Amino acid sequence: MILDRLGKELLFFDGGMGTLLQAEGLKPGELPETWNMTHPETVIEIHRKYIEAGSDIVLANTFGANALKFHDKSCSLKDIVTVAVGHVKEAARRAETNGRRIYTALDIGPTGKLLKPMGDLDFEEAYQAFREVVKYGEEAGADLIHIETMSDTYELKAAVLAAKENTDLPVFVTTIFDERGKLLTGADVPAVTALLEGLRVDAMGINCGLGPRQMLPILEEILKYSSLPIIVKPNAGLPKQVDGETVYDVSPEEFAFVMQEIVRKGAAVIGGCCGTTPEHIHAMIKLCRGIKIKPLEPKEWTMVSSYGQAVCLGEGSKIIGERINPTGKKKFKQALKEHDLDYILREGITQQDKGAHILDVNVGLPDIDETAMMREVVTELQSVTNLPLQIDTVDVNAMEAALRIYNGKAMVNSVSGKQESMDAVFPLLQKYGGVVIGLTLDEKGIPETADGRVKIAEQIIAEAAKYGIQKKDIVIDVLCMTISSEPDGARVTLEALKRVREELGVHTVLGVSNISFGLPSRPVINAAFYTMAMQNGLSAGIINPSSEEMMKSYYAFHALMNLDQNCEHYIAQYAGAAPAAPSATGAAGSQMQLDTAIEKGLKEDAHRITMELAKTKAPLDIINEYLIPALDHVGKGFETGTVFLPQLLMSAEAAKAAFSVLKDILAASGSEVEKKEKVVLATVKGDIHDIGKNIVKVLLENYSFEVVDLGKDVPPELIVETVLKENIRLVGLSALMTTTVVSMEETIRQLKKQAPDCKVMVGGAVLNQEYADMIGADFYGKDAMQSVYYAQKLLQGK
Amino acid sequence: MDQMTKEAIRYLGYGKHAVDEKTLALISDSFRNLEDAADKRSIYRIFDFQQIADDRLKIGETEVQSKSLGRNLRGCSGIVLFGATLGTAVDRLITRTSLTDMAAAVVLQACAAAVLEEYCDECQAEIGRILGQEGLYLRPRFSPGYGDFDICFQEPLMRMLDCAKTIGLTMTDSYMMTPTKSVTAVIGASKTKENCHTKGCEVCDKKDCIYRRNVPVT
Repeated sequence: MILDRLGKELLFFDGGMGTLLQAEGLKPGELPETWNMTHPETVIEIHRKYIEAGSDIVLANTFGANALKFHDKSCSLKDIVTVAVGHVKEAARRAETNGRRIYTALDIGPTGKLLKPMGDLDFEEAYQAFREVVKYGEEAGADLIHIETMSDTYELKAAVLAAKENTDLPVFVTTIFDERGKLLTGADVPAVTALLEGLRVDAMGINCGLGPRQMLPILEEILKYSSLPIIVKPNAGLPKQVDGETVYDVSPEEFAFVMQEIVRKGAAVIGGCCGTTPEHIHAMIKLCRGIKIKPLEPKEWTMVSSYGQAVCLGEGSKIIGERINPTGKKKFKQALKEHDLDYILREGITQQDKGAHILDVNVGLPDIDETAMMREVVTELQSVTNLPLQIDTVDVNAMEAALRIYNGKAMVNSVSGKQESMDAVFPLLQKYGGVVIGLTLDEKGIPETADGRVKIAEQIIAEAAKYGIQKKDIVIDVLCMTISSEPDGARVTLEALKRVREELGVHTVLGVSNISFGLPSRPVINAAFYTMAMQNGLSAGIINPSSEEMMKSYYAFHALMNLDQNCEHYIAQYAGAAPAAPSATGAAGSQMQLDTAIEKGLKEDAHRITMELAKTKAPLDIINEYLIPALDHVGKGFETGTVFLPQLLMSAEAAKAAFSVLKDILAASGSEVEKKEKVVLATVKGDIHDIGKNIVKVLLENYSFEVVDLGKDVPPELIVETVLKENIRLVGLSALMTTTVVSMEETIRQLKKQAPDCKVMVGGAVLNQEYADMIGADFYGKDAMQSVYYAQKLLQGK
Repeated sequence: MDQMTKEAIRYLGYGKHAVDEKTLALISDSFRNLEDAADKRSIYRIFDFQQIADDRLKIGETEVQSKSLGRNLRGCSGIVLFGATLGTAVDRLITRTSLTDMAAAVVLQACAAAVLEEYCDECQAEIGRILGQEGLYLRPRFSPGYGDFDICFQEPLMRMLDCAKTIGLTMTDSYMMTPTKSVTAVIGASKTKENCHTKGCEVCDKKDCIYRRNVPVT
């Protein structure tokens, strides 16, 4: 088994394949995998040369062999993979090896597609594509799977899961970092390391993109964070264009020379990528063979990650934003019930802006499908924030669904000392990775003493070890009880916190605000307790980052404890902080009318003036006397070409601010808010541009329509289903390109058939009246205001 | 006012109209945010070129049927295929801004387009400088989707550039580029310098477009 040798002795991969095939006549753009069939001898010969140069691990020519990239009618994917693996074995038979064991690696490269939500490839679809290949590879007799040249952590996760779930083969992974140490999709070394260690691959490292010398600093960074055996496979330098050809100009000797240094630094498996040849590999092995590799050093980082960055606990105290949670929040509950994702996403954005490092995500409500909602919220949050997420649920199915599709290594909230809880949660951690919060309570409840809580923490750590979950991936929550019912609650919690950190050496979290439950002016107690907890070793507080009191404690603590270099963050936050002054425009024109504020697009002023006005005027009067006339005025200006799109939208945002004040007042007074007519908006299937649709949405909402926003890339079936279910009379569809107008046409066809009374308005860059007529739309909106006028005419009789 | 700001204003549909200060402030904020978010990357490769007929061309091994591209490339001896992207972080920034402030999102979108165009111009100037040493002159770049150059050529073009791997530029099943703020183009290289080339937006036949450059004042 290769795993018996991995990390104990230096192992050698082969070098470039594509560049050698090109030298034999492979054309740019031609799929190299077809050469397994058309030029078998050429492929076998290249493998043989690498084996004779000394390579232990030889990659089958299957880099692009997946259903998404490989479309060749002449042969099946299964044949390609089987034949390619066979070629390596044949080469091993032919080569002079002196009895050396040669390992055949199934080579897995990227699909060439970008995954959702940034692209159009579904995570599970990517998984299926990889699953197919790894199964063929194992059947054909591959000894290991080498996933390489990955530049997107999400695709990487799909590939690793496919390999781990469908085969028993060792999994080696390398990604393509640039000179700044980032993947193309933005992940840095700690983020990639956290993900791969969490998924328990056997070895990780770097290939392609750079020459050996440029890889040195990246290798150092990987060695700082990773406990795994490291693979390094550089190109023969950076590609250069000479006479229309891509060339790599690092010579075999120079390559070999730098590879020595790479091994001395700590690489355990080395080889080459683009531009390297059997000569490079031969020279490399000759120079490196005698070098003793560095023993593996376990690293103790407690890391969670997103697609772009990792957060390490232990450097100061981190903030876990608690606001994505329906508990005690009426508006949030309503948003969940109404499937108002935007509201939930905005909660995430606000917390990031206020300083959160990690976002807790809890979407549990008795009457919603928590698993589906969790999956959706986790996915969408990752399209607007790069903060790592904390999956917070008691529903094991929702937890697994979220961990599976999460792009990174998540924080998991939580497991307790109850056997049942540990039996359910630890297998998920074992499979998907993650850092789990262990609550110090068990079948008997929460111990009253610090001793009791420390003991449960120990039990959790011991039970986790049975699953191979290391101490660094557990953080303990010693729980806090409100001092209004437990007078000694704070003292016990602080003592337990300190002991867990010092005696057990694990990191800690706390839901800080529980401490003040039932007391007046809770922020006063919360902030003081938060400071005390940080002083006693709190690695991360689960708090509301919009609470000024809490953030003051946070910044002050870090400044005081020399955890904020030169008080930089403290100063950035509080220097020049004066009592909130009225905005410049507000001060000059305290007489400013609400309609003026809206027409000028002054959001803050509109908000403030509405608050003032509402003291003396009824909300509906404010709407009729100020808001509507102002919006009409701006709308007319837009139509006649004196107001332009940004201004129109600034006014819309200002009006929205005013409306939200009035909505709260109406809701608080218990009066029924006017029932609004619903309009469905969607960007059609295949289309991923939604800015036009979003513009229409903002405007329609201003004109008192309720928008059911189905998002982008929406299948016709979902639109029809929503229309029928919600009894919708108007649908707005958006498409950007000629290639997607086809699905607009199909959507209209299905709508006309199943909901003939529903009208369809369309808009988008390539459309015009003629085109709209041709595909059967009822209305073509040449700009956003036209859509509003049409909706008013149709639904409000205006 | 700098060129990028002017371009952003044009994309926002202002034509020759004066721009209000609030929008100008949003524009400068957007450029600042884009500076952090944009991860500009580009790739080019040079291919053989053959003009079989006015509207039939061969780039490397790929045959293209297009009259407008044929016109653009007439007399060229080689072809540069070019790809550039601002990366996924810009898409995320636009999505994020759409949730909090639609006016800012629209301005950001326009500014990102301006940043991308300027970046492409810079890249093209650099390619022109390198090929200039071999006595070659570049034509204006021409992208799939311009004129009758079918958008479907995005696929072979991106494959020939291997741009998923090299710069992280991919395409959806509907031929949309992801990340969305990206460009692919064909740039002709010829031994003779031709001036008076119309390029970019002026090539387009849609003369009444509100986004058109140098539109006559109405």
